[in-house]
Amino acid sequence: MSKEELLARMAKAVLDGDKEEAVALAKKAIEERLDLNDVLEKGYIPGIQKVGHLWEQGEYFLPELITSAECMKAAIEVLQPELTKAHIAVRSLGKVVIGTVEGDIHDIGKNLVASILAANGFDVIDLGADVKLEKFVEKAEQEKADVICLSALLTTTMMGQKKLIEMLRERKLYGRFKVMVGGAPVNQNWADSIGADGYAENALTAVDAAKRLLKK
Amino acid sequence: MNEAIFELIKKRTVLLDGGMGTELFKRGFPQGACPESWNVERPEVVKEIHKSYYDAGSDAVLTNSFGGSRIKLSSYGLEKRCWELNYAAAKIGNEAKPKGRFLGGSIGPTGKFLKPQGDFSESEFEDAFAEQARGLAEGGVDFLLIETQYDLKEALCALRGARKASQLPVFVTMTFDHKPRGFFTMMGNSVAQCIKELEGQGVPAVGSNCNLNSEEMAELVKAMRELTSLPVIAQANAGKPSLTDEGKVAYSQGLEDYLRFIPQIIQNGANLVGGCCGTNPDYIKRMAAIIKPN
Repeated sequence: MSKEELLARMAKAVLDGDKEEAVALAKKAIEERLDLNDVLEKGYIPGIQKVGHLWEQGEYFLPELITSAECMKAAIEVLQPELTKAHIAVRSLGKVVIGTVEGDIHDIGKNLVASILAANGFDVIDLGADVKLEKFVEKAEQEKADVICLSALLTTTMMGQKKLIEMLRERKLYGRFKVMVGGAPVNQNWADSIGADGYAENALTAVDAAKRLLKK
Repeated sequence: MNEAIFELIKKRTVLLDGGMGTELFKRGFPQGACPESWNVERPEVVKEIHKSYYDAGSDAVLTNSFGGSRIKLSSYGLEKRCWELNYAAAKIGNEAKPKGRFLGGSIGPTGKFLKPQGDFSESEFEDAFAEQARGLAEGGVDFLLIETQYDLKEALCALRGARKASQLPVFVTMTFDHKPRGFFTMMGNSVAQCIKELEGQGVPAVGSNCNLNSEEMAELVKAMRELTSLPVIAQANAGKPSLTDEGKVAYSQGLEDYLRFIPQIIQNGANLVGGCCGTNPDYIKRMAAIIKPN
């Protein structure tokens, strides 16, 4: 099988949510000493990107998104030791601390954003749901994060997003981390009014927004 | 009492209630608390809300038990109080209920996923819902409404659980997104698939609530009506919520625009009509004037 064929099959494995195939291909890539950066950039990542497009078009739904993101994760786990051994740093797009703000136990959207960001090459630290604002700041400082992502489903807990930004200002940390907000009642106006750096309507646009923010 | 609601459905459009969460917050419910806990801690407040809906003209109101499944309650560490909180929800509803009206036991989703996307088995979901349904049934609700379901598999678990726990009629409403190819649940269930499966299971009334505004709901009702002769339930949101910088909540559709599509929702074939997020007793009062002009 040519390298091109292998890369195409990697993309397809992610697209089909075929974890066994995704893992088998990752092992094969190592055996055949393929350029592991190509394996990611031209194999698996185009697969997850296609999944995103299909979701936006209403062809794929949440189960397919989750399954495909898990395929990515499984393939990367296989590649990771080799990458480390070869001193190839997996080019992380940036470090993200993510969670649902305190008082809000809803985590479906947050989980999806976390796994899609991870599948696209971000280093994601998921703090879970009902997370104290203090903990976001603490963890972001400790991990030297690039981005803090705050999810809220309730109009009452959205205020937590605003408070976190105020907290950053008070502590002279505003600007150190990019802050992204999301959740069903959240929109661009809200993000602008509270001084957030980014807003995304869904997990796919979150990837684009995070990439855009970190390019600046 | 069980038959009476079906007789009313045959006779005319049945008016349900509107939002519960926002009404609780209006009355000082603290952020981050478990709404069902107020069935025990502040029953007089919950009762007042129910009463305001009955006064506005609701033929049936729904108990404050949307998040009352054992799994959802466990997010607050209250899983051991599942029966108690649901039983209390039904008791309060009955205290508020005028003679000749109805009380529905609300059963919302767990907020978790079944395997393989999540960690739960179908029997775990079924048991969690059965316990909730038992509390509601023993507290004396007239029917159960499994609502805001985004996964048909989960809705069917709730249905089996509810039927294990009681003999009450069990209605089901699904929550749909408006996608390029039509209406689908978050998990990808089509309207046709949901109706077919629920009708096949002998559910006596099916429909949709939440997420869609009243204009989109009118379109969805039309699609549902073409697929079934069962009574159809429709409870639309008042658009999308947003928060002003001062922390005030506003819904994009607003009262007048919301009401504009109520006649169409009924004309397109809905038999039980109410509100969802963003609606309040004012909405229901105005809907009553449309639905029950006399």
